[in-house]
Amino acid sequence: MKNMINSVYGKYILFGIALCLTPMLQSFGLISSATVTIFGTIIFYAIVGIGLNVLLGYSGLISLGTAGFMGLGAYISAYLTNDMKVPFIISLIVSVTIPLVIGLIIGLISLRIEGYYLAIATLGVAEIFRQVFIEFEVITGGFSGKSASYPKLFNLIQLDRALTFILMSVILVIIMILTNNFIHAPTGRALLTMRGSEAAAQAMGINLLKYKLIAFAVATLYAGLGGVLYVHFIRFAYPSTWSLTLSLQVLAIIVIGGMRTISGSIIGSFIVFGIPELVLKRLPVIGNIDGLSFIFTGILIITVVLFYPRGLVYFGSDIKKAIRSKKAADVSFKK
Amino acid sequence: MDKKKILSVENLSIAFGGLKAVDNLSFSINEREIYGLIGPNGAGKTTVFNCITQFYRPNEGQVLFTKKDGEVLDLVGKKTHDIIKLGLVRTFQNVELIQELSLIDNLLIGAHIEFKTGIISQALRLRSAVKEETELRAKALGILEFLELKDKKDELASGQPYGVLKKIELGRTLMGHPKLIILDEPAAGLNDTETNKLADLIKLIRDQYKCSILLVEHDMRLVMDICDRICAINFGKKLAEGTPKEIQLNKEVQEAYLGKEE
Repeated sequence: MKNMINSVYGKYILFGIALCLTPMLQSFGLISSATVTIFGTIIFYAIVGIGLNVLLGYSGLISLGTAGFMGLGAYISAYLTNDMKVPFIISLIVSVTIPLVIGLIIGLISLRIEGYYLAIATLGVAEIFRQVFIEFEVITGGFSGKSASYPKLFNLIQLDRALTFILMSVILVIIMILTNNFIHAPTGRALLTMRGSEAAAQAMGINLLKYKLIAFAVATLYAGLGGVLYVHFIRFAYPSTWSLTLSLQVLAIIVIGGMRTISGSIIGSFIVFGIPELVLKRLPVIGNIDGLSFIFTGILIITVVLFYPRGLVYFGSDIKKAIRSKKAADVSFKK
Repeated sequence: MDKKKILSVENLSIAFGGLKAVDNLSFSINEREIYGLIGPNGAGKTTVFNCITQFYRPNEGQVLFTKKDGEVLDLVGKKTHDIIKLGLVRTFQNVELIQELSLIDNLLIGAHIEFKTGIISQALRLRSAVKEETELRAKALGILEFLELKDKKDELASGQPYGVLKKIELGRTLMGHPKLIILDEPAAGLNDTETNKLADLIKLIRDQYKCSILLVEHDMRLVMDICDRICAINFGKKLAEGTPKEIQLNKEVQEAYLGKEE
């Protein structure tokens, strides 16, 4: 048991099991149904955050188009399952493949442009998507939105809300494990080398094109997956959801949580999408402010960047270290 | 004496705008030789490096490299990231290591071309990916032992003394199967003791790994100490080529470094 807690996989799996217990707490009446929805939100944004973390944290490339790719996954899956009656699993595969292919094309563009220009280009792509979501009413339902249902696995098992939540937790844990594996392997090291110095990367035989494509593919694949889970859990998608604000919130997840860590994306997602709803909105007076969560995220980004640039994921271990060194200092003082 | 050439640069020229950075330069390096390229600041040494490793495309000339199987190949026009696959590895003037990675992981970057598995088998931890990683990690550990840095293997590269970083960058070139290692100012920023140790290390690498070494260096003592032959250049043109003794006595080289007597 102790081994399990200490290994990375063990931690991820225990975390997943703990997450799966959330719907049960609701059935015992300990937490409200709205709280479960918030935790669900945290899960799919955590997945999207991990993808952006691979892109920005490891390969150093930026994308402000995250929301567009999420929306793309969401609408395609809603259309396929609802209108075309395609089984959920197949719809899931198609709905993450299309964002992935478009991500690869943007990866090609990223060879030519960098930095701010790449950010603007990806932002442009996302805005095009948003416009398409509004105009392409046959598939997206336009301004009135598109509804979807809880997933039905293998055309047999119709999931309810609690089971959908558990399915999302399982997918999150799988994503965490897979990402952890390839990040601590040649792929992760190659991405980091590319971020540090393209010249050094080339001298070491790292094909820049290949790894830029991989980074974009991972980010857009995870964003598409997050979108699919979104639409089948929330069961509704509006075009206004997939805006720049959402992309910036996903960016906030990894800045606040911590770059280049998987658990950082989870913590960040909890802080950005959980804290405002779970805590702040329940406070007197402050809770009534419009757009409170954006103010909160904004202030937090500034604070973290100024005082804790590595991200809040290191908060716990830093406190432990501080306590330990204080203890050591006390002991030597007494001597 | 019939020595086998590993690299021969022939009539190499490159111009940036109107400025001829390298002008009709030719030299060649034999197998198991330590070869020095020297010249005053701005003589075009690093440009020559970049032309050999295909970071720059030369306007004219050939860079002929003898592969492991004896085949002679012109490097001009090859992709930059394919050069290392032929057994030609370089270091950089201002150490290019990855700060966020441990020393052993930095060495593993040098073995990038040795990894054959793709992202999917790595993500799923297939047996082939795990086996590869274990084997190359063991090799990296061996090199750390060779560099006498084994006890620091899991420390991050950031915050390490400059001498250690230089050694790791040297070690990184050994992770492939180098036939020719190109060192860009290996002694820059090192003190006298460290430079002496470096000289020993470079010779040791040549003997243990049976490769040739080409170095650009400002530290004349290091160059004269370890090089078998030297090529001196100025304004992109060759001034002289020969043993350290010959170069020291060469009039033109003295003039280039110290100025002309009136």
